[in-house]
Amino acid sequence: MTDTTKTTGGNIFGKLNYLIIDDFENFRLSMRQMLRSCGAEKIELVAHAAPAIQHCAYNHVDVVLCDYNLGEGKNGQHILEELRHKKLLKRSSLFLMVTAETSKEMVMGAREYQPDAYLTKPINRAMLEKRLAGLLHQRNALLPINRAIDRENYPDAISLCLETLPRQPRFKTWLMKTLADLYYQVGDYSHALKIYDEVLAQRDLSWARLGRGRVLLASGQNDDAVRSLKELIGKHPDYMEAYDLLAEGLESLGRPTQAQQVLEKAAEHSPNALLRHRQLARLASANQDISTAAIAWRQTVNLGTHSIHDNPDHYLSLGQSLSDLSEGDLSEEGAEHADEALKILSRMEKRFKDNESLVVRSKIVQSRVHAGQDRIQEAERTLDSIASELQDEDAIDGETGIDYAKTLFRLGREDQAKQLLGHLAQRFDDQPELLQKIENLLDEPVGFRQKLQARAFNRDGIKAFESGDLDAAVAEFSSALKIVPAHTSLNLNLVQVLMKKYSEGSPDPDLLVTCRNCLDQLAGLPEQHRQYRRYIALGNKLKGMMP
Amino acid sequence: MSLTPDRDQSRDNHIDFSMVLASAVHDMKNSLGMLLNSLDELRNDREESLGESSRFNTLQYEAERMHNDLVQLLGIYRLGENNLSAHIEEHFVPAFLSEHLARHTPLLEGLGIHYSVDAEDINGFFDDDLLTGVLNNTINNAIRYTKSRILLTACERDGYLVIGVEDDGEGYPEHMQHNGTLSFKSLDFRSGSTSLGLFFASSVAKLHSEGERTGSIRLRNGGRLGGGVFEIWLP
Repeated sequence: MTDTTKTTGGNIFGKLNYLIIDDFENFRLSMRQMLRSCGAEKIELVAHAAPAIQHCAYNHVDVVLCDYNLGEGKNGQHILEELRHKKLLKRSSLFLMVTAETSKEMVMGAREYQPDAYLTKPINRAMLEKRLAGLLHQRNALLPINRAIDRENYPDAISLCLETLPRQPRFKTWLMKTLADLYYQVGDYSHALKIYDEVLAQRDLSWARLGRGRVLLASGQNDDAVRSLKELIGKHPDYMEAYDLLAEGLESLGRPTQAQQVLEKAAEHSPNALLRHRQLARLASANQDISTAAIAWRQTVNLGTHSIHDNPDHYLSLGQSLSDLSEGDLSEEGAEHADEALKILSRMEKRFKDNESLVVRSKIVQSRVHAGQDRIQEAERTLDSIASELQDEDAIDGETGIDYAKTLFRLGREDQAKQLLGHLAQRFDDQPELLQKIENLLDEPVGFRQKLQARAFNRDGIKAFESGDLDAAVAEFSSALKIVPAHTSLNLNLVQVLMKKYSEGSPDPDLLVTCRNCLDQLAGLPEQHRQYRRYIALGNKLKGMMP
Repeated sequence: MSLTPDRDQSRDNHIDFSMVLASAVHDMKNSLGMLLNSLDELRNDREESLGESSRFNTLQYEAERMHNDLVQLLGIYRLGENNLSAHIEEHFVPAFLSEHLARHTPLLEGLGIHYSVDAEDINGFFDDDLLTGVLNNTINNAIRYTKSRILLTACERDGYLVIGVEDDGEGYPEHMQHNGTLSFKSLDFRSGSTSLGLFFASSVAKLHSEGERTGSIRLRNGGRLGGGVFEIWLP
């Protein structure tokens, strides 16, 4: 074998800018030595993430050689994510991750960004030269396409891919993958699907299966997508992206519990993916599985320490979950959760100290944590410390207001909470998501354990009603209402059952009195409430039945 | 990293011994990687004095061998955990082979072994990580048994991609020559050679399937150099 790269005068290595990131000076120097002997000239060496990102911000770099393990602080994956996220590294530049691990273990951590190649230690000059030459050859052949993608000129990129396909059979996989992805990006799902089907007709390749699942989901064929992704995971239990997509599909099919289970499994396989943990935490919160949510938020917060995805919302959500868990739980475990919530929130205040609105959000939750541990005075005092910020109800943003109302409920200041929520509902009457949150809180201003209990009663009541057992239904709904007396649809459910019972053979006037009381509970229900029409209809019906 | 047992498990008294072993193997593998790196550097720095030192070559050869064994051990562990599947992608075979031979060139040159690649210009479908493990081990083995030459081959036969490693040594003893796949039971822990490498290669081959067809390995003697021939057949 002749050394082709050398005989061509090193010109494919020579003109490029290199950046070597490694915390060991010896490795940096030996890597530079190897690159130089391949013909490279412009080589920058840095030891850590901060100078690396700094360098990329002010200089053009063609090839990054980054060690994965950089000791304390950010690792190679963090750097890659930050560079790509801030668009400091173009698609047309190469990022090579140098690792002592087998690459697959690493890939499993990543979700969004993957390096162009992994170099597994030990590395010698001959290996580096061959590998880099191959990658640079590919880079040069595909440069026009990647430049078009960097400029976000997708139609151009698509036609370049189509032109290149017959000329570069060696890069067929890359071209097909990129082409299908570009079609997906521009929303041309039928062409994307056609490419995946063409690839799959020749061979069952997991990337094509995954891509096909993504397109099916995007074009609303959720059942097909879910079926095909389940099959893919069956064959490749370590293909993490498939889990993410499957969870998305299950959620859109209205099966959030299954979606959560899928993500829990994925999180177990790949403990380092922040975005996956965050998604799991959101799902679990929505499913009222607060203990799973707390664990996932905790992971998200911890993984955020060095990540570009770090966000105060994660801390706040963890604080809220822990607050929910500790509420009214005076056991040792409850106290631990409360302490952790307070600690996380004050850590957030310190870490993001430029963001002043966070102090208000933090204190609102802290006050609730104290209240949940029967420390009412401390709760009041904490809330007083931000009284001036909360004075003007027109200045509070929606989310903060709702959380504030939640705390007011815990402190027994129900009238103030309701008044605040009413005010917010008027201010945000064009924002359905916020309105729904406000309605939910008004319906269930209690801790999540009671909430779950009331929901279970409600479910059983509906079941009993459907099977014709009216007495059982009345009993279930009444039990639920003992926990959440102001719950709109629960009150209406009870009214409906009682009226049916009255008209089906037991015309006991007491039944109608109870109905009247239930409807009175809902007096002042605003017109925009989802249950408003049902409320009016049942009210009219009741009037007709009154003697 | 992903192999370290989490706190919940260590809080229990139950010790998952294979997990402990795997973690230890993982650490040892990484240490050896560092060691091999240093050996490469040392060879570069002291090319004159070390180039043909047989003691230095032995040092590097044995370290490589251990490193390969540990990589395989981890592979087999994950196989047992049902946590290993082939991520099959398309690769340009000649480039793949010469990249992997490059890892061994300092040692090959130090030992004065002539090496070459004879591959058709074809694309193949395989998991490059898994194949790297198999190739490193096979090349290492060939280095041990060859007299003076090693040849890597690749071609398409009966719809399979056949990658071969040939040498001009004595060849495989009769009882080792076979076609197809090896089962875990066939490992003989009493004899000096456990054929762990062959078991791993066979397992990797089996992970590659396409429709009804699965991969396999073949060992025979002869070939173009008249010594041992290792072949992995991938559908």
